[in-house]
Amino acid sequence: MNLVEVQDLKKSFKRHFWSEKKTVLKGINFNIPSGVITGFLGANGAGKTTTMKCLLNLIFQDSGNIIYFGKSEFSSEVKKKIGFLPEHPYFYSYLTGKEFLLFYGELSRTLSKKALIDRTESLLKRVDLYHAKDIALRNYSKGMLQKIGFAQALIHEPDLLILDEPMSGLDPDGRHYLSELIKESAREGHSVFLSSHLLHDTELLCENLVILKDGTVFYEGSTKDILNTLSTQYKISYLEENFQKIIFEKDQLQMQSRLKELVAKNCIIEKVEKDRVTLEEYFVKNVLEKRKNEVHLDHR
Amino acid sequence: MKSIWIIAKNTYREIIRDRIIYALIVFAIVMVGGALALGQLSFTEQARISANFGMAAIHLSSVIIAVFVGSTLVAKEIDKQTILSILSKPLSRTQFLMGKSFGLILIIASLILGLSLILVFVFWGLGVPITSSFLVAILGILIESLILMGLALMFSSFSSSFMVVSLTIGVFLIGHWVENLNFLSKKSSSVIFILFAKASVYGFPNLERFNWRDSILYGESVPIDEVLLTTTYGLGWWLAFLVITSLIFRNKNFA
Repeated sequence: MNLVEVQDLKKSFKRHFWSEKKTVLKGINFNIPSGVITGFLGANGAGKTTTMKCLLNLIFQDSGNIIYFGKSEFSSEVKKKIGFLPEHPYFYSYLTGKEFLLFYGELSRTLSKKALIDRTESLLKRVDLYHAKDIALRNYSKGMLQKIGFAQALIHEPDLLILDEPMSGLDPDGRHYLSELIKESAREGHSVFLSSHLLHDTELLCENLVILKDGTVFYEGSTKDILNTLSTQYKISYLEENFQKIIFEKDQLQMQSRLKELVAKNCIIEKVEKDRVTLEEYFVKNVLEKRKNEVHLDHR
Repeated sequence: MKSIWIIAKNTYREIIRDRIIYALIVFAIVMVGGALALGQLSFTEQARISANFGMAAIHLSSVIIAVFVGSTLVAKEIDKQTILSILSKPLSRTQFLMGKSFGLILIIASLILGLSLILVFVFWGLGVPITSSFLVAILGILIESLILMGLALMFSSFSSSFMVVSLTIGVFLIGHWVENLNFLSKKSSSVIFILFAKASVYGFPNLERFNWRDSILYGESVPIDEVLLTTTYGLGWWLAFLVITSLIFRNKNFA
């Protein structure tokens, strides 16, 4: 089941009144499925943030449809089912962590006063900010702001979490902590749609991917599939006269014949594994390099 | 309605926690208190000078807050991008705008109320009677501030903060000269001046209509029908600015 369906979404912007329109989204189609974490990738300027803002009606598309939970209107009922963490966690710096969550929770209008107080307390504990609940947000670090922002997105128990670059600017510890929070939320039944530049984290977190390239959808599908289609190499680790060696074979047949050859030579086979292509390698090779080549061609 | 109230409460809290507001409140209290000292300069006109100076202090303070806080009220939300997470919650852009406006109205009303109480004590000390015209004068200040706030909010939906303040102060000055312009246009033979004066009369709110402060000085009472008519006139301008702002805001892209 799809929570959100994006159909032929187009958007262009004018920088100034007199300047030409720049097309950012050239008719994109993709779905956000229920029950999984979907990663939204693309190089800078590919249109990720524009798409996310279109999803939340913060930017109005030129054409195309967005279907939310089977409905075409972005109503208050739909908003109640969505939690959003913007790219830069600029929140009301004069509020304390607790006041901030209560304020956003009140606005969400899904919980009773008592339930909201309980939810605020439990979320503050969950994001490890209970100790800072009475401190003004202006005194929070970037990591703390990102965590309280995440709690804000979760305050009204939404079905879908839309997270724009949730881990940008965080140290490894902060990234790990937030990744765990996202995983935990997904386990609890929240579907997640997150954009990120951090491909390693995205690979570990997301079961599903939507990759944007120059305003069009370059790939939509499972993370496993995209990596498996490229993982054709086999890596054989073996010992030959007490020296450890590694060789790569392109396909299964070649790998098997190589194994027979090595066994015949009395080599000790230590490990045979399908060489894994990381999302980062895939992205650099297929999205960024192709883009670079096209830019070069454009300049010729 | 509940969403508007939640935003209004938070806006009130936001302004109250801003240190700049305290500087203005201290300035206003000193000004109103100064009315007492200034009155001492004259034996015969002590009460009149104090009343004049005190009312001017309340007027000036509320206008400053309406213009300066009004100009940044929503612009700050857009600049700091706090608006992104707020508008993703179940409330409309118009509700957000109304909530912000009501929050500022609450601040202006609280300030006017506080300063008026101080002035009441000053009047009491000087033996100036507190009549209905005092309340009417205060109402006039509140409505004028409301119009200026609505105007600042409208300008801020398409202009930078500096421009907003400049434009609002410009309208404030024209608004107080509209009657004079109208009077002079009747004496003038210049077609351009007459057209400009006519355009000003219909295109700008006549802010001098809300100046009931002189009635305290002369001990006159303002007729109730005039109060009601002028209040409706003022609220009409405020509502018009709010509707225009809302129309601009509803179609705005927060890129």
